[in-house]
Amino acid sequence: MDVFGSFALVLAFVCAVYAFGGGIAAIITRHPLLIKSARQAGMATCCLIFLATFSLEYLFFSDNFSIAYVVSHSNRDLATFYKIAALWSGQEGSLLFWSFLLSIYVFSVLIAYRNKNGELMPYVGVVMAGVQIFFLTLNNFVASPFKALAAPGANGMMNYVARADGNGLTPLLQYPEMVIHPPNLYSGYTGFTIPFAFALGALLGRYPGEKWIHLTRKWTMIAWMFQSLGILLGAHWAYAVLGWGGYWGWDPVENASFLPWLTGTAFLHSVMMQEKRGMMKVWNVWLVFITFLLCILGTFLTRSGVVSSVHAFAQSSIGTWFVGFLALIILVCFGAYLKNRDYLKSENQLDSIISRESSFLFNNLILLVSCVAILSGTLFPVFSEWITGDRISVGAPFFNKVNIPIGLLLLFLTGVGPLLAWRKTSTDSLKRNFGWPLAIGLAAGVIALMFGFRQIYSWICLILCVFVASTVGLEFYRGAKVIRARSGASFVTSAVELTMRNTRRYGGYIVHMGMVFVFIGLAGAAFNHDIQKDMRQGDSLQIGPYTLVLQGFDTKPEKNYTAQRLLVEVLRDKKPIMMLYPEKRRFSTTEENGTMVAIYSTLKEDLYVVYAGNSPDTQLPVLHAYLNPLVKWIWFGGVVVVFGTLVALLPNRRAVLVLAGAQQLAVAAQPMAHGLAPSATMREGHD
Amino acid sequence: MIRVRSIAAIVTLATFAIVLLLMTPVGAQQFSDRAKQVGMKIKCMCGTCDMAAAICSHPGGEFSGPCGTAKMMLGEVDQHVAKGETDEQILQAFVREYGPQVYTEPPKSGFSLVAWILPSVYLFAGAGVVVFVIARWRKRPTQQASLVAGVPGFSPEMLERARAKVSRETQD
Repeated sequence: MDVFGSFALVLAFVCAVYAFGGGIAAIITRHPLLIKSARQAGMATCCLIFLATFSLEYLFFSDNFSIAYVVSHSNRDLATFYKIAALWSGQEGSLLFWSFLLSIYVFSVLIAYRNKNGELMPYVGVVMAGVQIFFLTLNNFVASPFKALAAPGANGMMNYVARADGNGLTPLLQYPEMVIHPPNLYSGYTGFTIPFAFALGALLGRYPGEKWIHLTRKWTMIAWMFQSLGILLGAHWAYAVLGWGGYWGWDPVENASFLPWLTGTAFLHSVMMQEKRGMMKVWNVWLVFITFLLCILGTFLTRSGVVSSVHAFAQSSIGTWFVGFLALIILVCFGAYLKNRDYLKSENQLDSIISRESSFLFNNLILLVSCVAILSGTLFPVFSEWITGDRISVGAPFFNKVNIPIGLLLLFLTGVGPLLAWRKTSTDSLKRNFGWPLAIGLAAGVIALMFGFRQIYSWICLILCVFVASTVGLEFYRGAKVIRARSGASFVTSAVELTMRNTRRYGGYIVHMGMVFVFIGLAGAAFNHDIQKDMRQGDSLQIGPYTLVLQGFDTKPEKNYTAQRLLVEVLRDKKPIMMLYPEKRRFSTTEENGTMVAIYSTLKEDLYVVYAGNSPDTQLPVLHAYLNPLVKWIWFGGVVVVFGTLVALLPNRRAVLVLAGAQQLAVAAQPMAHGLAPSATMREGHD
Repeated sequence: MIRVRSIAAIVTLATFAIVLLLMTPVGAQQFSDRAKQVGMKIKCMCGTCDMAAAICSHPGGEFSGPCGTAKMMLGEVDQHVAKGETDEQILQAFVREYGPQVYTEPPKSGFSLVAWILPSVYLFAGAGVVVFVIARWRKRPTQQASLVAGVPGFSPEMLERARAKVSRETQD
């Protein structure tokens, strides 16, 4: 199976080269057969990458310990569930996984547009094949996951060998979220290849203005949704596994995943300027380019080890390849832009500073400033070492100080932007739209002050969250009220109907609401506190309203590890409410340790309990308890963001213009024509 | 008599305090809130965890609490606090001991100041660009607004029709 997988990868490389070269030839000659064959070579590339990936998974499932990658990342006792995750636990496999996910996107695009957009698709196919060639080069010639295990024999020759068992999977990855977090994040990274291919293809082919935007809108939203989900799952993994009580440490690899998310978010907003007003064409093209470049940069930072990171299990010396690829992309993008920039001229003028257009400009500015600040902070240790010889650390306090004000400004714009009209917003409209939300937000701030809320950033965040939630609520209320007046349906039904009539707009509002929940959760971090204590059986520890009593310990042997558990009873107001079982795991194959945090989570706060191990000084078990307010809101907000994006991806449902009066007439005339009577029926449509 | 009583009381209290101190396990050492605050600004210098001393937890380690180095550093912070030193004085003491690597955030002096200045530079430069763009767009003459990809004579109606066509063609 290893030979099969290896052969499939080589064939995939050949097919990708053909798709690339044949595609260029097809663009030059416009020969239909050449266009078709390049497209089919692209599809064949994808199928062969699927086969290679499945064959590597098969090697894991069949415990084939003659393959170096399988030996390094699996063992016989590893649960089947984690054998799936073993695929992306090391460099070679994760690069193949990159190719695999990219192939899903490429295959879908090639199938979806096989008979459409004949002018544009050859360009798109060439760009996609170019990206695939880069990753297939790595898969085949730099970091092949199919290398057989070999050892020098008696005659000095290298012989193939097979081990009885493997080294096992890194304990930090043996957690359910690790089976879903990397695929989501990688789906985000790889997904941005599609808008990049369309943008570059459209620019190279001088394709009509907004068409590539229309074509890629959904692909961008899908990639953005996966990126969001991947980031949140990663944060949840860090929270539940690393045991330090936090979910975001501004680690370079975390930052790397956040950067394309920021530019992708900017693109999803600024794209509306081009669709509605034909503006910001240059900016949109460059935003897509930058987003894709940041995806590659993110992979480079994860793989190269230029900056120290908790994701050390994925590092290697492969970085030079990525630097070369980044340089090549920048060169191609600049070349294409310089050659065809005249076709990106803006069509309209700005009528007023107080308009939706301006709010999008400022939204983009804030997102980009945040992106560049995080990027320069992440790379600052490298630059400082080059220039001064001292490696200056840039950790969480720096990023928090820089990004909290930026985040609050962005939150403010989240509330303001949707309420401004295109072209020009009148003073009356400003008063009408902002009066109540502003009053409600300020009232919430005053109430919070009365309750002793004194942390300035959290207080501002609270006011802004209430303000944004009110603006979103008001938008739904006004729209639903109109539908309700016409149809007589309930308010909830009307709100659903409203959403389904303009899924993109109201899906976007739901996403904004999700972000409000996330910000509420983030604001809670200002009030985190923790306590650590060496515990004897029967000892108790007080944190906030909770009393933790150590009832005992036990040892739980599992197939792949042995878990030592603390049995902790949780009391609130002296009443027992539950038992928590924080664990310390010892993995026999790797002789490494893992933590399994026990969390009692409510909307108000998380009681987060870690068994830190036995104290090196007293040999007593050490219990570390944290009280983290509002954390659940972050995960809930993430779910709402994903739901909102899914809603925005749905096609619009358009109402047939039938007034309520006509509907009543139709009801009265029911016997006349069963099934033909006019009613407020809906038909499928698109915006 | 009163003097004897006073001495006895002091001795009793001191003995009680010493017994309490001896009974308290070293691992249960609690640090002041100030030590934790300053501990967020200095890195644990154990050389393996790369975390702030206040949250040193060695994920994946045999003991995932603050390691001996972090505890020592937090203890040192408390000693400095007891002397009435400011945060900056405490930080400087650690820099003298470990070098600039001890910072979790760049100091606001020398080359490191660049890291702090840059975000503001980005913001102001970006805002400048936005203001410039807005000003340029507002000044744009109407006839230029009707130029489409450098092709003069394209009316707004034709443009709208083209947009509608594109929209229809790309529905999926």
